[in-house]
Amino acid sequence: MKTEYSLILGLVLVLVASVARAQDADDITRQAGARIAITTCANCHGKGGNSISSKFPNLAGQRPNYLEAQLKAFRGQTRGDPDALAYMWGMAAPLTDVTIHGVSEYYASQKPGPGRPGDPQLVGRGEDVYKNGVPAKGIPACAACHGPNAEGLADFPRLAGQQGAYLEKQLRSFKSELREMAAMHAVTEHLEPAEMDAVAAYLQSLN
Amino acid sequence: MKTILALMGAGLFLLVSLGAQAVPSFARQTGMACEACHTVFPELTHFGRMFKANAYTLDSLKQVRGISATREELLSLAQMPPISAMAQVSYTQTSKNLPDSSGTIGSAQNGTVSFPEAASLFYAGKVAPGLGAFLQLTYDNAANKVHIDNTDVRYAGHMILADERDLIYGVTLHNNPTVQDLWNTTPAFGVPFAVTNAALTPLAHTQIDGALAQSVAGLGAYVLWNESLYGEFSIYRSAKQGFSNPVTGTAGPLDGTTSNVIDSVAPYFRLAYEHQWNRNSITVGTYGMQVKLFPGGPGIPLNGATNRFKDLGLDVQYQYIGDDHLVTLAGTRIHESMTLDASSALAGTNATDDLTTYRLWATYYYRRKFGGTLAYFSTTGSTDPGLYPAVNGLVAGAPGAFGGAAASANGSPDTRGWIFEFDYVPYLNTKFSVQYTKYRKFNGGSSNYDGFGRNAADNDTLFLLAWLSF
Repeated sequence: MKTEYSLILGLVLVLVASVARAQDADDITRQAGARIAITTCANCHGKGGNSISSKFPNLAGQRPNYLEAQLKAFRGQTRGDPDALAYMWGMAAPLTDVTIHGVSEYYASQKPGPGRPGDPQLVGRGEDVYKNGVPAKGIPACAACHGPNAEGLADFPRLAGQQGAYLEKQLRSFKSELREMAAMHAVTEHLEPAEMDAVAAYLQSLN
Repeated sequence: MKTILALMGAGLFLLVSLGAQAVPSFARQTGMACEACHTVFPELTHFGRMFKANAYTLDSLKQVRGISATREELLSLAQMPPISAMAQVSYTQTSKNLPDSSGTIGSAQNGTVSFPEAASLFYAGKVAPGLGAFLQLTYDNAANKVHIDNTDVRYAGHMILADERDLIYGVTLHNNPTVQDLWNTTPAFGVPFAVTNAALTPLAHTQIDGALAQSVAGLGAYVLWNESLYGEFSIYRSAKQGFSNPVTGTAGPLDGTTSNVIDSVAPYFRLAYEHQWNRNSITVGTYGMQVKLFPGGPGIPLNGATNRFKDLGLDVQYQYIGDDHLVTLAGTRIHESMTLDASSALAGTNATDDLTTYRLWATYYYRRKFGGTLAYFSTTGSTDPGLYPAVNGLVAGAPGAFGGAAASANGSPDTRGWIFEFDYVPYLNTKFSVQYTKYRKFNGGSSNYDGFGRNAADNDTLFLLAWLSF
């Protein structure tokens, strides 16, 4: 009798362990991602992905698909803006698809910090460009892809609350094609520096 | 007299061992450009400090790996070793020729070409998971020898605390007090980053200010909490290079034929706090050590009376690292209390002395390409003719004896002046510098400081340097 109980108990334990293992795979990925984020990425991107430096983008609350795509572009050395070369090509090189997924999920689940208000006139002009584009120059509304509140849509990144200086630099990089992306190059090709300033100030002000 | 010579020797040795802490093998290993870790080499950014605290292990290279059946990592070694090299070529000219040591009249040639001033080979990078090394072998043109230069082998791990705060803990084994430090305000990797080894240098230095460099082994433990609060405790024991015991003919044990040997171990501490906001960071810190040295020398065994030094340093650093403009304002003050029981009995120095060194500097770079540093330095302390002698360490009239220059007529260590440096950095690993050192006071005086008519300004030095790291 004792033996039977032991067998049943053993079977139950094996079953529990199997279920647990299935859950573990995701947990382990998430934990590995969190560990990399906390011990390494945070050096520049700040605690929980809220960067304290305008050089480094906030990652908290970013769309996971976008993060994965960027990390893979860094790893594949296809994103060519100067900071990508100097920092992220090296950083992303040792990441596997699994750790990229884990890091992306970690940051997607973090709470973004509050927006930082800017000069109201500049922010107002930026809001206009963001929501309506510049029809005279055929520039479409940013909101069409990045969402009405700049929260990001599908593979398009969240821009709300992003570091203004970082956004401006990216817009310039799209325009000059240091950062190659046809859609964003088309959007930025005729965007003036003052309009970039304004959009960046508006987006930085959003929560 | 031996003590004095030894002290002077230590001071001179310091000057050939400064410099060189930025190595391209880190860039190769991490896949990151120099600018991630350096404003302009060798000054560290916050990320560079984190890289060092993490034991130089961040890597992006393909690894040769070994794991056990339980997935324990047994080996993780880059397929290419983290080797790099450095070469410094320089030209040095002083305001007035030095006396000629071959006789009592005449003067030395002015304008020294050092080719190389130093050439180094580094192993700098990861050794194993969590374990990394910065090892430097340097060719020293004065000694025409290759010697072990700055070395720091360290292990680091992480603990993730509540609220996702990161705690780095580590141990370090190194050969120069402060070489293991994360900031450029402590002596080993401090400003000026490069100095000539072909000009006179002042007599007085505190012990922590390089006097023990590469002649000790230090073992320390450190923690860095939340990328901001750093604490370290280390101990040092003498580990002389180039010593052989006359009895055994081997590398040890140390005896009275060597000089300035640490009695037991010398403790060292470091506390620093760094705060960052946007592109700025500010650090305040303190560091210090207590050393008891046997002066040694023929007939003076390594026991009995010692010379005791208590060094306490304070340091502060502000950095602004923009894309176009980079600014660093920094400084340190080191105070040393000396109790010279051994030297006062043996060489007639004072029983107690003190010494205070200040170094303050401002550095600016435009796009990491053009820049410069303005630095002020000052050392003041007790007048002690036994320690800062009026002759150059050799008996007058003896072969090689010459008057003055490396001496102090009034026995005072007081020295102060300015360094002006302009740097051109065409590539992140190549630097050309023009450095001018202006002395307002040298070894205790402004004019006729050595009693042989030499003025402090005669030692003003123009130093041209090409510094390549590859």
